[in-house]
Amino acid sequence: MRTLAFLFSLVAGLVVFPAVAAATPSPVSAWYVYGSSPAAVASYAYARGCDFAEGQPGGGLRLMLLDFGAARKLSAGTWGTIDFSSTTLSNTDILAALKAAADGYHNCHVRGSVDILYGNSNYHLSASGMSTTDAWYAGYHQSERSEDLFDYQAAKGYDSQTSDAASDMEPSWDGPSITKQLVNGDQAQGWALYYDFGSADGCPQSGSSDGPCNNGWHVSDVAYVSYHGLAMPLPEIYYSVNARQWTVVRRWWNANQGGYVFAGATATTGAGLAPGAAWNTLSSLNGGLVDSELVCFGC
Amino acid sequence: MFRLLIAACVLAAGGGIAAAAVVPAPQEKAAALQRRVSVATTDSSAEPATPPGSVPQPIPARMLGLDVPVPIPPSVLRVRNGWLVSDGRTLVAVYSGAAGKDPSVGRLVIVRQDLAAGRQTVRTIDAGPTGALTITSAPLGSAVEMSAQTGSLRVRTAGGRTLRLDLGAGTLT
Repeated sequence: MRTLAFLFSLVAGLVVFPAVAAATPSPVSAWYVYGSSPAAVASYAYARGCDFAEGQPGGGLRLMLLDFGAARKLSAGTWGTIDFSSTTLSNTDILAALKAAADGYHNCHVRGSVDILYGNSNYHLSASGMSTTDAWYAGYHQSERSEDLFDYQAAKGYDSQTSDAASDMEPSWDGPSITKQLVNGDQAQGWALYYDFGSADGCPQSGSSDGPCNNGWHVSDVAYVSYHGLAMPLPEIYYSVNARQWTVVRRWWNANQGGYVFAGATATTGAGLAPGAAWNTLSSLNGGLVDSELVCFGC
Repeated sequence: MFRLLIAACVLAAGGGIAAAAVVPAPQEKAAALQRRVSVATTDSSAEPATPPGSVPQPIPARMLGLDVPVPIPPSVLRVRNGWLVSDGRTLVAVYSGAAGKDPSVGRLVIVRQDLAAGRQTVRTIDAGPTGALTITSAPLGSAVEMSAQTGSLRVRTAGGRTLRLDLGAGTLT
């Protein structure tokens, strides 16, 4: 069926989203990266790849999100992240970790397939000294490393794997202008889908207008970072208010450009909504427009 | 996910999701989405990869300032500061501040990772109407990488009252 669909799409030149899942998807684990060194992060990523494969529900393609922390320019010409334990990771280090995750998934593969995501965030980009140009390069090289990972997966015969990128883009963490450059850089490089697993903090909870959000953002800015270019919304739905805010984002985009579809939802334990309820809440407000993916921190 | 069903194929397959509306993917995303369709469910290589060395690499107990990224979003926690320790097998990170929706509610968020078992948990503890919480005293250094994970931290409320987080019991008193 999958092959038939792909061949048909090539012939027809037409790609469409499914209109999606009626049933709540089973959550898959996402991970915050805390490392003491690049070598430790690679070892960690290998183990998480294996864990993910062993626990993967169903036979479909699922997203494995490794959140390496905040995007950073580490030195002239060197980009990467600072992780959650304050360890700086160059993109070379991160690529090594992503390859280790691919190895771990391969060694423990049971069923289905995986899209391994290089995740970062817009946490305090400006305060760290990054310019909008630096942020553009951060997105560009993030996509480039994702493509490098795919080349590795292909060379190793890991046919059940692919690669993309992701970013936890939170209005409260930095302004819209610099955050948009992450998305623009990714699009310019052209490889990776750029999953926005961030928030629509402070945005309106009803209507479809371009209302204000936190930190100088507007609904249109959240829509941009989640759907412009290669961006795809995988919104953080921790409380029901988040689902209402993201619904406004979707309505605004569709009123102006059309075609906005959620790639799924990001959930967590320890907050207001249980993971399944998070996806269901978003889906109930956006009937047929939320794909069957549920990424979860703490699951 | 994103199985990229083609409308005609859906129809040919018997219309399993016939009631669903079909949304065209934007052109700029089409190539990346098409790539996902060709992902197989088996690998052509059966050769196992060589795992990286797995020597535990602990993280000495340390305070985390606001220059270090916080994984907890502002909708959950308006963060003041954090603390972290790992013995290389298990990790505990504590973030202090106020509830995202109500800054009058003091809140702690505890992230734990069991690296061997592959588990991560995120737990929220609310202190009630104390205002934002700040970690003021915690075990530090490499000598406490294991013991601190079940030790205690002192936390100050906005009004200056001191509370104790017992990581072993999971209580804030």
